[in-house]
Amino acid sequence: MSGAWREYLGLGVALGALVLAFGALTDHFLSRATFAVIASQVPAAILVAVGMTFVLILAGIDLSVGSVLGLAGAVLGAALGPLGLSLPAGLLATLLTGLLCGALNGALSVYVRLPSFIVTLGMMEIARGTAYTVSRSQTAYLGARVEWIAETTVLGLSPATLVALAAAAVGQIVLSRTLFGRYVVAIGTNEEAVRLSGIDPRPIKWIVFAASGLLAGLAAVVHTARLASADPNAGSGLELQAIAAVVIGGTSLMGGRGSVVRSLFGVVIIAVLGTGLAQMGAAEPVKRLITGCVIVAAVVIDRYRNRSQGREGQ
Amino acid sequence: MLGREGGRRRLVLVGLAGLAVAITACRPQPQAQTPGRPRIALVMKSLANEFFLTMEKGAREHQAKNAARYELLANGIKDELDVNAQASLVEQMIAQKADAIVLAPADSKALVAACKRAADAGLVVVNIDNRLDAAALAERGLRIPFVGPDNRKGARQVGEHLARTLQRGDAVAIIEGVPTTFNAQQRKLGFQDAIEAAGLRLVASQSGEWEMAKANQVAAALLGEHPELKAFLCANDNMALGAVAARKAAGKEGAVRIVGFDDISAVAELVKTGQVLATADQHAGELAVFGIEYALETLDKKSPPADRETPVDLVTAETLR
Amino acid sequence: MPAAVLLRAESLAKTYTTPALADVSLELRGGEVHALVGENGAGKSTLARILVGLTKPDAGRMLREGHAYAPSGKAEAARRGVAIVLQELNLVESLTVAEQVLLGAWPSRLGFVDRRALREQAHAALGRVGLRGIDLERPVRSLGVGQRQMLAMAAALARPCRVLILDEPTAALSEHEAERLFAEMERLKAEGAAILYASHRLEEVRRLADRVTVLRDGRVVATRERGEATSAELVQLMVGRDAGSRPPRDARPTPSGEPVLRIRGLRRGRVLRDVSFELGRGEILGLAGLMGSGRTETVRALFGADRVEGGEIELRGRRLPRFFTSPKQAVAHGIALVTENRKDEGLLLPLSVRANLTLARLSELCRRGFVRPEAETAAARTLASRLGVKCASLEQPVRQLSGGNQQKVVLGRWLDRDFDVLLCDEPTRGVDVAARAEIHEHLQELAAAGKAVLVVSSEIEELRALCDRIVVLSAGSVAATFGREGFDQDAILVAALRDHAGGKGAA
Repeated sequence: MSGAWREYLGLGVALGALVLAFGALTDHFLSRATFAVIASQVPAAILVAVGMTFVLILAGIDLSVGSVLGLAGAVLGAALGPLGLSLPAGLLATLLTGLLCGALNGALSVYVRLPSFIVTLGMMEIARGTAYTVSRSQTAYLGARVEWIAETTVLGLSPATLVALAAAAVGQIVLSRTLFGRYVVAIGTNEEAVRLSGIDPRPIKWIVFAASGLLAGLAAVVHTARLASADPNAGSGLELQAIAAVVIGGTSLMGGRGSVVRSLFGVVIIAVLGTGLAQMGAAEPVKRLITGCVIVAAVVIDRYRNRSQGREGQ
Repeated sequence: MLGREGGRRRLVLVGLAGLAVAITACRPQPQAQTPGRPRIALVMKSLANEFFLTMEKGAREHQAKNAARYELLANGIKDELDVNAQASLVEQMIAQKADAIVLAPADSKALVAACKRAADAGLVVVNIDNRLDAAALAERGLRIPFVGPDNRKGARQVGEHLARTLQRGDAVAIIEGVPTTFNAQQRKLGFQDAIEAAGLRLVASQSGEWEMAKANQVAAALLGEHPELKAFLCANDNMALGAVAARKAAGKEGAVRIVGFDDISAVAELVKTGQVLATADQHAGELAVFGIEYALETLDKKSPPADRETPVDLVTAETLR
Repeated sequence: MPAAVLLRAESLAKTYTTPALADVSLELRGGEVHALVGENGAGKSTLARILVGLTKPDAGRMLREGHAYAPSGKAEAARRGVAIVLQELNLVESLTVAEQVLLGAWPSRLGFVDRRALREQAHAALGRVGLRGIDLERPVRSLGVGQRQMLAMAAALARPCRVLILDEPTAALSEHEAERLFAEMERLKAEGAAILYASHRLEEVRRLADRVTVLRDGRVVATRERGEATSAELVQLMVGRDAGSRPPRDARPTPSGEPVLRIRGLRRGRVLRDVSFELGRGEILGLAGLMGSGRTETVRALFGADRVEGGEIELRGRRLPRFFTSPKQAVAHGIALVTENRKDEGLLLPLSVRANLTLARLSELCRRGFVRPEAETAAARTLASRLGVKCASLEQPVRQLSGGNQQKVVLGRWLDRDFDVLLCDEPTRGVDVAARAEIHEHLQELAAAGKAVLVVSSEIEELRALCDRIVVLSAGSVAATFGREGFDQDAILVAALRDHAGGKGAA
């Protein structure tokens, strides 16, 4: 346990340093309002990052999450708009859309044995295309029907933030405490060894991809609620942002290693960077430059940390 | 092993065959070739964008009504920034022996070379929506007429409407589009014109990259950093929607005004209730039609190329009533 | 013999968390084979790596024919005439055989690889290790373990070398391949080169070595001239106690003979043409054969890891409709497998000893899907102590264990499970003498407890010591079966070569 806390310490310090730096560089960064803004922005990214963490630990990748979010959001927009469904029915349709996309990704990559990179790249296009079709490429304004989800209620947190934090907590517990999580780590470490131990890795992998899709669907609800609109372009580029956040959190792209809580830190670090740089009034090129540097630096630091630990043991 | 391989190959073949059938079924019905009827190619930016979709719809309706006058080849690219794909589209249109190209360029400079090839091939080229760079055109010795709205003027109208509700010295911020595009630059200039004229104080101008989520993040950050902000001038309506959400999250619904541009359907309700103070309608549905009409005229009369301005109208709660 | 000292190491030391080497000095003379023996973890590999600059010593120095020598890596060592073949082969799977052999020294013309020169030089180098018949354009990934080992050897010898370091070179070789290697070593020795030969196999050491240095816990315990020490004495030096008390095979009652597993006419492509045998309760059955004879493939087919094209299988007297289609199914039917290649197929290297030991039965250590940490730790602790796994803690990554301890972990994974048949593919490859004896002991205990055990091994000696019967495979079919009284090294070898006419046997 103490080991785990020490692991979080490094990221916590990095985050703290970032917050203090922005505090010094701007007039109003260190305020309740800023943190409320960040808290309202991260839920969708957290949900997607939770799923992505599992996928990366499996040594897979899911490039479709951004587009699936867009599609699920468009479904929500269509359900509440032209189709005139009730909110529960609309939410159900949204989540089912995400689940279906994820399940399809999983089925193709696991049972047809295609690389997940290719399968989800295909899904990325398919889902986006479908999103445009479903929404007729129009942004739908949903207003108060969904806004309450993103509105602050309990302890200064919105239902959306609470759902995201709950998903992260559940994800971390599943990963570290359950049979399923242990299998996920083992498969990501050496799938053949797991198979030869008499465990069928396929259903486990399939569930992980399906869950990633479902979480993207949930993220779509949260995202749509925050903006009170269903935008068919929503989530474009989110897959890379999620991968960046997860990697900042120290999850290995090679599989077998990762932590949901650390991914959460990654998401928050990226959100703080975005908000802080905007408050500083940094120009677009500078923002991109700095964000890129932070991602690379995080991975470099993580690599050194691992190597020094590896050396200790050898 | 062999059996399985073979099975998989068969599966792939069946899949490909199915795909081919599907593609054939999706293809629009080829229109009967009438000799002498000019072929006009409409090359747009992203069809994912409502604005261009409306534009395409307008063009198709116009063609349906005027089927005897011309044949329409409408195309768009996937990603608004994929200049390369658009340049190849222009070349495909040359190869397809179109008589005229009506082009909404994804980039105001990078498409000039493709236009030059089209002009050299004897096609009439009409520029709509996003104006090609004058210097780049001059360097190539090209004269391509621009048919479209004056974005700067439109943005100025929107800005002036906003200014009437504010006091001299009030703090405002601009949320720009992708800064490399002509329209983003023009709209920003138009907003600035209005801001200067009314003596407002511009405290920040940042890019929301035409996107709702991005604009939301920027607007939220600006509200935090500049609590005195009285208004956002957004270069399109999607970004205005993002700003509306940011304003709501900050609990400043009464205190901050927001204007947009484009008049997309999703903001109509917000304009009616005053949550978005104003937007500009540049008649997207007819923009392509203006270009097509112009191209037909040129083909007909061989008149020398000259720019033609199309109307931009201010949309407010009053005009929607 | 006043032979020149080609490489001298003085007081080398290296400490990780614990000392791996302490005050090790060594001389390699021209024209000698210098054996380095010791249990795994004694520091043999660390020493070998230091000699070619793959590991930096914390203290001490090295001299190459009297000149200071501190190579920065294999490339510089090679320039100074020192070559190495590592225990863990570092081959590039996607290269062709020819490219791999000359990797780092591809002949080129104007920046382009000169394919013809490449092929010629590779052909010559491969010929030296008896791989003359191999297709130079074959990808490395298609080679078996033994061929890879010989390929690595050819690569080391492709450039002129005065000092050759071999770390466990015969672990993956069939006896025949090993003979080729020994011939090549004799040739180098005659040319005046020095060879450092790290091995567990004392028979080989006794046969080949001019001098033997024994390492224990990172220190040199003794150096003996040829003929000065008996195998028993060496073992005692290595383990620091009398380890010669391996329980003889006869301590176990003769198996009842009641067959648990019976297969007939197992077929798969050209690899398995007709494999039939039966395995009785309480029996240890050996599966012998050359590389490529279908031993590993038989085991994998039985375990459902590979598809099968034909044949019948009978388990506990009941005919099954087909061979297993997945390992999961095989396990559900009471079959367990200890894989050939523990690093690629057996272990979760970065994960803890605990996680590796409990992998196969983790589902039983759960309540409502949650792993019970106390139950898991207890299970792992029991297994580790039962097997005598030496590790700093149960949380130590299994990667850090010695080969013998890693192999115990792979075996241990199954011990808690209810199984009738244990398939072991090369259970003691790259494992030190003491650990090997322990693993043999465990297999015998399992058999005594009524399990049926199938052991695949390249070492006929191992099978003779362990098994009740030996089935010999040759080119994918059963060539002969020997009972205990008929165990004869030559007869087994002849049977193994039966269907490999004109193959490696004639080279």
